[in-house]
Amino acid sequence: MANLSKSSRRARSRGDVVLRSLVATAAIGIVALLLVLGAELVNNSGLSLTTYGLGFLTGTVWDPVHLVFGALPFIYGTLLTSGLALLIGLPISLGVAIFLSEKARNRRGMGSLLGALVELLAAVPSVIYGLWGLFFLVPVMKNYVEPPLHSYMGFLPIFGTTPIGTDFLTAGVILAIMIIPTVTAVSRDILNAVPNSQREAMYSLGATDWEVTRKAVLPYARSGIFGATILGLGRAVGETMAVTMVIGNAPSISASLLSEGYTLTSLIVNQFNETTSSLYASAMVEIGLILFALALAINFFARVLVWRMTRGARFRI
Amino acid sequence: MNFYRTGASGTTIGLVVVVILVVAAAGAYLAFGAGGGSGSTTPSTAPHTTPTSGLLPAATINGGGGTLVFPLMSSWIFAYSQVQPNIQVNYASIGSGAGIAQITAGTLNFGESDAPLKSSQYTALPAGSTLLTVPISASAVVPAYNIPGIASTTHLRFTGNVLAEIFYGTITTWNDPRIAALNPGVNLPTNEITVVHRSDGSGTMYAFTNYLSDSNSTWRSKVGYATSVNWPVGIGCKGNEGVAGCIANNQYSIGPLEIAYEITNAGSISYGSVQNHAGNFILANLTNIQLAVQAGAKAGLPAGNAQWSNFSIINNIFNDSADAQIYPISTFTYALVYQNLGATYAGTSQAQAAAVVNFLWWVVNSGQNAGQKIGYPPLPANVVSADDTTLRSITYNGTPIYTGS
Repeated sequence: MANLSKSSRRARSRGDVVLRSLVATAAIGIVALLLVLGAELVNNSGLSLTTYGLGFLTGTVWDPVHLVFGALPFIYGTLLTSGLALLIGLPISLGVAIFLSEKARNRRGMGSLLGALVELLAAVPSVIYGLWGLFFLVPVMKNYVEPPLHSYMGFLPIFGTTPIGTDFLTAGVILAIMIIPTVTAVSRDILNAVPNSQREAMYSLGATDWEVTRKAVLPYARSGIFGATILGLGRAVGETMAVTMVIGNAPSISASLLSEGYTLTSLIVNQFNETTSSLYASAMVEIGLILFALALAINFFARVLVWRMTRGARFRI
Repeated sequence: MNFYRTGASGTTIGLVVVVILVVAAAGAYLAFGAGGGSGSTTPSTAPHTTPTSGLLPAATINGGGGTLVFPLMSSWIFAYSQVQPNIQVNYASIGSGAGIAQITAGTLNFGESDAPLKSSQYTALPAGSTLLTVPISASAVVPAYNIPGIASTTHLRFTGNVLAEIFYGTITTWNDPRIAALNPGVNLPTNEITVVHRSDGSGTMYAFTNYLSDSNSTWRSKVGYATSVNWPVGIGCKGNEGVAGCIANNQYSIGPLEIAYEITNAGSISYGSVQNHAGNFILANLTNIQLAVQAGAKAGLPAGNAQWSNFSIINNIFNDSADAQIYPISTFTYALVYQNLGATYAGTSQAQAAAVVNFLWWVVNSGQNAGQKIGYPPLPANVVSADDTTLRSITYNGTPIYTGS
């Protein structure tokens, strides 16, 4: 420090000013982008907002010919398929992440190969998953997975309808497959970041591997894992192409996971490019606005939850 | 030491930010440049060229619209580039609605739609403009199905009313007496029918629902016709490939499929014949689709510069009882181009104007045979001659572009 000359310090500070203004512009740009996006969505859905009001959120009919628009089946489909994806995907992701960070940690070859494969899966474009889903997953679900569910557990309303293959369950499964790489990769990095002193302390008390993972590693990493889950949920809510290929695209609110459904994103990808009247186009933009609000709400509640979970905790990641 | 490290990583971050901003700016420039409609610079001293003779000066023209015609448009653009190597034609299959919206906004040199404009869409056009409607291709929709035990050579017979009842959900099993009455001698299964339809808005569904509306009054009043409708029953699958996949995946299913899919995939999915107004059951092929649009246009098409809102080729074909061999679910796709081209609202240079007229002229006159292998019949002579009249009427800043005979 002391050996820095005055001029080089000034040069550094000029660099600092440039850097600060650049990054500040980028940061403000993000906020401005969000505001412009929101304002544009509200602005372009104005006609639909004034025509249908709150009824748009509760309506169950989507009829472009007679200009009757209700978004409830699509909101239901988005929430249900994303929830299913988490239910199926989270335990698997956690298992893979624990294996990679706790069990395969000292076996370099296997761990790094598996880790690379997981990251490779995250890079596969979603339309590939969609086509694979339509031509492979749908027949498998329809012929081998759903019939036993329906015949043995059909008394439960969630398996109460005849299996068709293109339905909520298949959409949930393909979403789970798509979020597993993301959630796994982030969770693994978080588990790797847990200091070894935590594990060693537990081992020194005579704990088994499972006890170390359950009582030392996971609690330490829980807010980070929760963050990874929200990242996965975000991907599930916003996923478009793969879901559109396998969900059946019929607006319905059914308790049965084996019945066809529709999501907000699928509706946009299916119908936005053929909107032929201003009210129809406006209603489509309002669907985008709902999706935007839904994503914001999920992130907001996730923040609140993380904050409540980590309040008073000594260690954070 | 620590101080220097921080400084170094700060510079790196700064560099990264600069690179990102430069890339973003370049991307934005490219995006806006491409969206502007005039891709290449054109000599303003370009001579007034007749579209039928010689090489045209360099120009890039951008078209966009329906997805139904996209495979055909791609082969047209390739073949045309051999004839006019200086002209670059781009076509974006963005959907008919987007094609109409972009030609209205003047960001395309020509639009494309599977349905004529509605009167409200005509009123949204720029003041002083006249939009021409030019049928450029014919296509058809077939009822495709997957019924185990029925050979693909046994083409089931359907009427418009029976199809409407199936897609409305009032006929629910394959052995329904209304289907059995049309198919004596065929051993129809007792299984429930799984209805499949397109989930994305499309000209194929526009033609199909228009036909169902003609055939069945309940369908007409309850569902109606459009590129996207509120389907009473069934599962929606994306694109022709999606519908084909859903039919293949679901035994005892039925769905409307574009004939081009059946022809290019060599009938991998069974499809049925449909009864026309003369009472004959017609199995779609290129000949009877061409005959159908010829019959639909025999009373004359609206003038190219008129409003086509009340014209429906499907209704005309549906009501035609004189022609015995026409396939009833046949339809047009339309090119949309301004009659009075110029810089005012169409954003077109003289070279682009000459290229648009030349390209569309080539499409309706020389390009029609290009579609047969991929499932599109050539336009009949009466439609071609009407199109020629329309294309001759296009002007650039008031001067006719087409000066040949």
